[in-house]
Amino acid sequence: MRIRLLRASIIAITLGLASATAIAGAHQYRLRVDGLACPFCAYGIEKKFNATKGVKAIKIDINTGTVTVTMEAGGALSEAQARQIVKDSGFTLGSFQTVPGPAGKAGN
Amino acid sequence: MKSRATNMNKWIGPCILGLVAALMVHGPASAHGPLFSPAPETIWKDGTEITLGSHFDKATGGGKKEREVETFLEVEYGLTADWQIGIEVPYSWKEDDGARSNGPGDVTLSTKVQFWQRDLPGAQYKGAAFLEVKLPTGNDDSDPRLGSGSTDVIMGLATGYESRRWYWFASGVYRANTEGSGNLEKGDRQFLNLVGGIRPVLSAYEEPDTVLMLELNWERSGPDRLDGVKVGDSGGWELFVSPVMWWTYRQYAVRAGVQIPVARSLQGSQATTDYRARLELIYHF
Repeated sequence: MRIRLLRASIIAITLGLASATAIAGAHQYRLRVDGLACPFCAYGIEKKFNATKGVKAIKIDINTGTVTVTMEAGGALSEAQARQIVKDSGFTLGSFQTVPGPAGKAGN
Repeated sequence: MKSRATNMNKWIGPCILGLVAALMVHGPASAHGPLFSPAPETIWKDGTEITLGSHFDKATGGGKKEREVETFLEVEYGLTADWQIGIEVPYSWKEDDGARSNGPGDVTLSTKVQFWQRDLPGAQYKGAAFLEVKLPTGNDDSDPRLGSGSTDVIMGLATGYESRRWYWFASGVYRANTEGSGNLEKGDRQFLNLVGGIRPVLSAYEEPDTVLMLELNWERSGPDRLDGVKVGDSGGWELFVSPVMWWTYRQYAVRAGVQIPVARSLQGSQATTDYRARLELIYHF
């Protein structure tokens, strides 16, 4: 009984630590990009960010001019890095925000 | 030694045909801009854009009937987000009063520098300068000639505004022609263009996107010179109204349009443009 309880506790603690680590590592950033008018041209932003080390996914909303960048666990993106990538894509970085993780959890 | 009259008879046709074909100068291509005139857009740093296109010209009048179909491959590369280089390789089929020829045309090298950019939420203003050099690589002994036999320089300025809904562009181009084979020097050309456009449906990023444009293209050619003597039946200007459509999806674009002449003033007896049409397939990566 005690062994079963101990085993269950170890499993719960391990799962909890893994979850916290994943949440802490999965950084997400919301960029406002100025000049974003044409989907064909915006492809350059997608390509440049996808080629950046540590970037897991990118989502472009051309109607609001926002680009959401999701990093792999442990990855991070600096504002200076984002500004250069956006500039090399032919646009201007308007604002850079780190997106908080799920409610109540530290995501950054 | 050929007489002057013989020399004139050989080259007088190309003077007229050259007016039609050589007027198709549009500056370095950009999927993101007008079809018959240059755009200020440059491709992103380390980006590559490949264009496979065709244009069709028909001209009649002055006792002449001319047709040309040219297919070209253009590749452009972004050295930086503001500076691109390119090369265009054409292949033409020409018909001039029953005489026909086909083969590679004159290769053109290009560069474009975007010197001004102002980005706003959902909109951009841009300005660029470009330079092209057309090399005498086409056969200038064929009938009709496929190449000019001359190295010509094309330069210009383009500016524009694009937003989610509205577009406008304006450009000016100057083409300086040098003396080619047969002592023929075609007149220099000037081009002025105004363009307005609209995106009727504001699609999402990963949806197909359509833009409609209307171009106003004015072209002027100075008189040709043969052995230093002005050719009477050469030179003048034409004005075109040109509806254009772009359709894009992700990395792919299709552009199509037609130039319809609405006014002209040509010197002497020349073939006048009936219509021109252009179709481009574009892929960038």
